[in-house]
Amino acid sequence: EETVDITVASSHPTVIPWIGFIQSHFMPKVDEILAKTGNYKINWQEAFGGQLYKANATLTSVEEGVTDIGWVFSYLEAAKMPLSQVTGFTPFTTTNVPAQLGTLGELYETFPAFKKEWEQYNLVYLGATGSDSYDLYTKKPINDLSDLIGVKLSAPGVLGTWLRGVGATAVDGALPTFYTDIQTGVSDGALSLALGVLPTKIYEVAPYITRVNFGTVFSGGLAINKDTWDSLDTEIQDAMLAAGQYYSDEHAKDMITRHEIFMDKMVELGKDQDVPVTISVMSEEMRQQWIDRLPDLAGEWVAATEARGIPAKAFLKAYMDGLREKGETPLRNWDLN
Amino acid sequence: MNEKNNNFVAPKWERQSHWLSRYWSIIADGLGAIGTILIGVLMIIICSDVVMRNLFGSSLPLVSELGALTLVMIVFLQLGTTVRHERLARTELFLPPFTAKFPRAGMFVKAMWDLVGAVLCGFIANSTYKILLKDLKFDNYIGVTGVLTIPTWPFRLMILIGITVAAIQFFIHVITGIKAIFALKEEE
Amino acid sequence: MTGIEIGILAIGILILAISLGMPIGVGMLLVSFGGVMMIRNERVAMSMIGSVANDSLREYLFAVVPLFVLMGLLVTVSGVGKDTFDVFERLMRKLVGGLGVATVFANAVFASITGVSIASATVFSKVAVPEMTRHGYTKRFATGVVAGSSVLGMLIPPSLLMIVYAVLAEESVGRMFLAGVGPGLLLAGLFSLAIIGMAMWRKDFVFEAGDDAAKDVEFEELSGLDIIRKALPIFSLVTLVLGGLYGGFLNPTEAGAVGAAGALVIALLRRSLTLKIFWNLLVESGHITVSVLFLIMAATFFSRMLAMSGLPNMLGEILLGDFLGPYGFLLLFLVIVILLGCLIDSISIMLILLPIALPVAQQAGFDLIWFGVMTVVAVEMGLLTPPFGLSVYTIKAAMNDPDLKVGDIFRGAMPFVLAMVVGLVILAIFPQISIWLARL
Ligand code: NA
Ligand code: NA
Repeated sequence: EETVDITVASSHPTVIPWIGFIQSHFMPKVDEILAKTGNYKINWQEAFGGQLYKANATLTSVEEGVTDIGWVFSYLEAAKMPLSQVTGFTPFTTTNVPAQLGTLGELYETFPAFKKEWEQYNLVYLGATGSDSYDLYTKKPINDLSDLIGVKLSAPGVLGTWLRGVGATAVDGALPTFYTDIQTGVSDGALSLALGVLPTKIYEVAPYITRVNFGTVFSGGLAINKDTWDSLDTEIQDAMLAAGQYYSDEHAKDMITRHEIFMDKMVELGKDQDVPVTISVMSEEMRQQWIDRLPDLAGEWVAATEARGIPAKAFLKAYMDGLREKGETPLRNWDLN
Repeated sequence: MNEKNNNFVAPKWERQSHWLSRYWSIIADGLGAIGTILIGVLMIIICSDVVMRNLFGSSLPLVSELGALTLVMIVFLQLGTTVRHERLARTELFLPPFTAKFPRAGMFVKAMWDLVGAVLCGFIANSTYKILLKDLKFDNYIGVTGVLTIPTWPFRLMILIGITVAAIQFFIHVITGIKAIFALKEEE
Repeated sequence: MTGIEIGILAIGILILAISLGMPIGVGMLLVSFGGVMMIRNERVAMSMIGSVANDSLREYLFAVVPLFVLMGLLVTVSGVGKDTFDVFERLMRKLVGGLGVATVFANAVFASITGVSIASATVFSKVAVPEMTRHGYTKRFATGVVAGSSVLGMLIPPSLLMIVYAVLAEESVGRMFLAGVGPGLLLAGLFSLAIIGMAMWRKDFVFEAGDDAAKDVEFEELSGLDIIRKALPIFSLVTLVLGGLYGGFLNPTEAGAVGAAGALVIALLRRSLTLKIFWNLLVESGHITVSVLFLIMAATFFSRMLAMSGLPNMLGEILLGDFLGPYGFLLLFLVIVILLGCLIDSISIMLILLPIALPVAQQAGFDLIWFGVMTVVAVEMGLLTPPFGLSVYTIKAAMNDPDLKVGDIFRGAMPFVLAMVVGLVILAIFPQISIWLARL
């Protein structure tokens, strides 16, 4: 039996589900597969929670070998990974995480430009990660779309564009600052996900939850440094690919159940607040109105990305087709505008 | 940490204002002055954001990302002048008394430390140069496509210039230190 | 060599290099670069040093550093400190050792608009010491009181040390600020008790004539209107900054910017600012900012190198095992902090030790807010302990009095060091003093 040292790291702590899953699903699965022959044993060096790098350096840290394996937050790498942003410009398309990540996993094999977008950074892609669905968390109830006019909503980066057309203003920021931003009146609420809102207690300051079901987004993936990869025996490589697939699938399923559990949990934890947490579901007509008022977000993104010589139009179509083949019915066919 | 006694006085030849050193002081302290002005600018930007938000209900775009990048620029633009005026934190238990007793040995130790500083700042400059090339290659930006984007390369260039000046400044300390050692020897 | 051996070697070389006078930040960069090079390879080391320089300081929060420093310097030149002292002098003059107690409380209030202790030391050595000596106090005692109470500057919010700790421990800056309030008031109380006690039972230490003989020296009369006029600027600044922060209008960075702007307005209204002075203040803020943030950057690299080496995890297992246990570790940590405080400055101590100690404290299950307060109080003792006591040297420099020996100031400050030890014990036994407000 040969022992191989592998460092696995992340910018985010293990309480974030898909980081915890590296520890609870990916690593044990690799060990399990390798144990079958007993030829190799991995000596894992864990450095989760930003011990080696912060969220603004997830890509370069795997690329340069600061860590062997790491979770790459492609969502924050808009300039370097343009195609990976497609989900951020196509709201109201799907809330089915397995279908979304499955489609992207297939495109990784069938759409060379997408594969190149990752592999050009000296890394090998092991599995995809995504978010749960986005909703509105506000200080005041949203009964009608007109209630959103003039409302300031905290929204991270590109998601601010989802507010265009309904009269709300996007306040840029990241999850950790939302609570104080809302409390201090920097914003009146947030466009965020249950998964992030529960641990950061945003429901305390924004107790009105409107389930808009904007959809889920592709956040990034687990990847291994290419130099490390090349130094590994094919038996280990195969074990890692299989464990990566398993990690990605289990994480996708988990996102759906967890979303509902977290919604219930917020209602329970927030029931004794001055303003108790209340959940309402946005009606289908209101959602349709919202979608209709949005400008052609995907079209703008396609134009900007194609201008850099990247086949965004074809990729958008392939992505939407993939989802439709999996039985999803996007509320707006962004590729047919 | 501030208010450090200046135990290492500017070397003689700098005070005699060689033309080269005069130009160099303009570069190092001039960059520092830009950094200094940026502190005021930072204050104004953030205050305007507060006022805009509380009076007009709308935030200025990209303030937090711009503020963060501006701060990094402030640090690196002022690093050279900070090194030049010997304001980096260090312990003063050993070197100043040792230098008083054994001037040449003390100056030599000091020159070695400056050399280490020069090399490490050189490494940072080298690595930052590669990051700058990547910024240019990928048109790296902050902000959101379709709303407002600002390219990052100008900020990176300023950081690169600042750290390079700091490396050169450390190196100048090495040269002046060695020169001073030989000058002392001749006096003896 | 194993990672752990490399980690230990790196710490050893760092200690050696900085005691021999290498700039502390440069030393941390050096051993981190070398450490990563040995654990991984030079390409990774080169990439990490660049990434640390470009990414680790890129936080909106760090903008708070130059802004709070600028605010502190602006209020220092505009005479707000003198006014604060005048008000407390008027309120406390009937008390035994009243001028000493007035200095402590004026410092506590002044602390809430400055984030650096040396600002307090500078202001009050010029304001309180002459007034105390006029009233028959010894210079040793007077400067000792100023040095001792200057530590409140970094305990009561805003505080540069709390910001640095919050960054390293990933705690909220607002909460760390609040955590300092209770302990700050506790220390102010302990200092006052020490002063009153000495004024009653150790008269020769406190009074020049060995007695309260000069107690009849006249005080400057202050009308109620004068008091309001003098208290107004500091009151409005505190309201603006802390009110804005905790009333829910400003985040810490914005509180810094608004505070600096407010201090600028006060300085302008009082005509204490020329363009030249303002420029010098900006330059000085810049120098302080660079030396602090350069250290933070180097410490980030240092802690990443240590994380790679695996040393902190192993230390945790050893220190928290049967050998020491959590409270044994806490004691050891505080003793090391206090000893280092004799030699190097506050922020450097935190930046060198916390990357090693925080993971252990976390494993020990300590409340990191409480641990931070304990750290800051212990670190601040270093301002008063020889041979390197920054507050003491600041006072010596500001007084510019050849008769006043540095040793006298250190002796005068010693009772306050002891009071801080008592304070540490109380804070250790009653964590609620630190945590209560912050976790509200
Ligand atoms: Na303070
Ligand atoms: Na000391």
